[in-house]
Amino acid sequence: MLLTVEKLEIAFGVFSPVDDVTFSIDRGEILGIVGESGSGKSLTATAIMGLLSRIGGQIVAGRICFDGAELVALPERQLRRYRGGRIALITQNPMTSLDAMMRVGPQIDQAARLHLGLDRCAARTRSLELMADLRIPDPALVYGLYPHQLSGGMKQRIVIAMALAGDPELLVADEPTTALDVTVQAQIIQILVELVKRRGLAMILITHDMGVVAQTCDRVAVMYCGRVIEQAQVNAIFEDARHPYTQALIRCIPRRTMTRGSMQPIPGMVPNVADQPIGCRYNPRCPRVADNCLTEIPGLRIDTGDHGVACHMADVA
Amino acid sequence: MFLFILKRLILLVPVFFVVSVVVFLIIHLVPGNPIDNLMRAGSSSAQRVQIAAKYGLDRSLAEQYFVWMSRLVTGDLGTSIIQGRPVGALIAQNLPYSLQLGGAALLFSALTGITAGVVAASFHGTRLDDGISGLILLGSTVPSFWLGLLLILIFAVWLGWVPISGARGWTSLILPVIAAGVGGIALVARVTRIAMIETARQDFVMLLHAKGLSPLVIQLRHVLRHALVPVVTILALRIGWILGGTVTIEYVFARPGLGSLLIRALNQRDYPLVQACLLMLAMAVILGTLIGDIVQAAMDPRQRQARS
Ligand SMILES: Nc1ncnc2c1ncn2[C@@H]1O[C@H](COP(=O)(O)OP(=O)(O)O)[C@@H](O)[C@H]1O
Ligand code: SF4
Ligand SMILES: [Mg+2]
Repeated sequence: MLLTVEKLEIAFGVFSPVDDVTFSIDRGEILGIVGESGSGKSLTATAIMGLLSRIGGQIVAGRICFDGAELVALPERQLRRYRGGRIALITQNPMTSLDAMMRVGPQIDQAARLHLGLDRCAARTRSLELMADLRIPDPALVYGLYPHQLSGGMKQRIVIAMALAGDPELLVADEPTTALDVTVQAQIIQILVELVKRRGLAMILITHDMGVVAQTCDRVAVMYCGRVIEQAQVNAIFEDARHPYTQALIRCIPRRTMTRGSMQPIPGMVPNVADQPIGCRYNPRCPRVADNCLTEIPGLRIDTGDHGVACHMADVA
Repeated sequence: MFLFILKRLILLVPVFFVVSVVVFLIIHLVPGNPIDNLMRAGSSSAQRVQIAAKYGLDRSLAEQYFVWMSRLVTGDLGTSIIQGRPVGALIAQNLPYSLQLGGAALLFSALTGITAGVVAASFHGTRLDDGISGLILLGSTVPSFWLGLLLILIFAVWLGWVPISGARGWTSLILPVIAAGVGGIALVARVTRIAMIETARQDFVMLLHAKGLSPLVIQLRHVLRHALVPVVTILALRIGWILGGTVTIEYVFARPGLGSLLIRALNQRDYPLVQACLLMLAMAVILGTLIGDIVQAAMDPRQRQARS
């Protein structure tokens, strides 16, 4: 496995918005992480990048193991070699992800110069190639523009180019299209996935769009309230979802055969971090809730088919 | 950008006239007049009338303004009533001292303030930040004349390192520059620190860290660049201050300068001199703001485009 995250717990003071995240991803694989907003997806991504301390968070338990190295224990100076060089981040909002006072080209160059040791000129050549790969029209011109002169979709391509510049093995893409216009979302995802496949990279694709997961991912981890509650191969998730929350998520996917009004939202609300229910965190919304659901948090049990689920009633029904 | 500057420069013309009227009215409407300062005790009222006529003070305000302004546009600032010398010469004599002190003090407070702000922001939340912020607060509350006296006592009287007063040689500039600059340091450091902390919270900084760049590079090459935009604004506002803001320091160190010239002229109601000094100070402040806007626009590509 290229990256293994095990029983990760992230705390801000007394709160632990992420408290049991387990998944792994191999080279050449695309892992989708899905879950409602607030379920801890971005925090997990930030933790993998080793940047939690920047926002005042802390890893209090668990492991993040990348290519045999334990990242949680690594000092900041060594972590910096991983960041951008071996693991790269693509963030949600391209409007705020670029330095508005710097031309976009040199912003792409940075990682290549830092991690690949290229000089200014070689880095520029490489950036221009990357931009062409991302189907940015007239890369030489765009290279010299400022972020505000580009559209959202173009900016996100620059952000992707920035992430690829240091030649990383793993991409962490945190909702890379959520902030974009609906019309360009599919296009950006397509370009991104195509590039990842062509270069044989691994990618963690965080999204709340099950449709995107179905089309692009090899494996899926479903998060709820700071925990991974189910993970499996994509077809296993869609054909044999075992957690009631995952089942509800899949029912929410709009289908062509359905009429507009028949989409079922999941009843109830995501509980507040400071006010989690005792026992299974899904119990206030779960249709199958049983007695021990109210007292015991179900752990993630992984079967032989590499299908993991955290639900007391998973085998019952 | 060029058009933006041109537009702003043209706009300065009406501003100049408005300011000149205000300056003229202020000095003429305050009680007292220069004649009292020229008369010896026991002079007759006939002499008063004679002197008033000589300087045109017997005419209506509108006429006086018109005479002043028509000379002004030809570059003639008039003659000091009390000192009897051309106003232009008096200003030219005092201006270099003010520029030296004010300019050096501004530079000193800018460099020291930005450095202090960068260090405090980079160690945000640590004891170093608390220490610097405390010093900054202290610096902003110490009156400059008191600091000037303290500096004189320590470095000139006790240690004898620099001259006590006067304006001879560059060593005599050291203490006044420090005394005049400390207030500015506090201001610049505070703005720099806050602006850097705010900038560091933005998404793009997180992404810079995600590239693996070192915190030092991120702070200096990216965050500081953004933080300097508001710093430039307050520095520009202080350009006008260079000319007239160091009066107290000039007094404490017995230095010549525009500030002292203006205060003396005000006390003596020396109309032409006061008018020229005030008008110059006001225009310096307005020009400073304009320069600030231009530099700011030149620094920030978004504004550069919006204003082109
Ligand atoms: N900087 C932070 N400080 C404190 N709590 C945070 C911070 N960032 C996120 N959280 C908490 O963690 C929860 C999960 O956040 P996040 O990982 O951003 O969710 P997601 O990306 O899945 O929408 C949020 O509901 C919030 O309460
Ligand atoms: S553990 Fe119980 S409450 Fe939780 S999802 Fe399973 S059945 Fe529902
Ligand atoms: Mg998020």
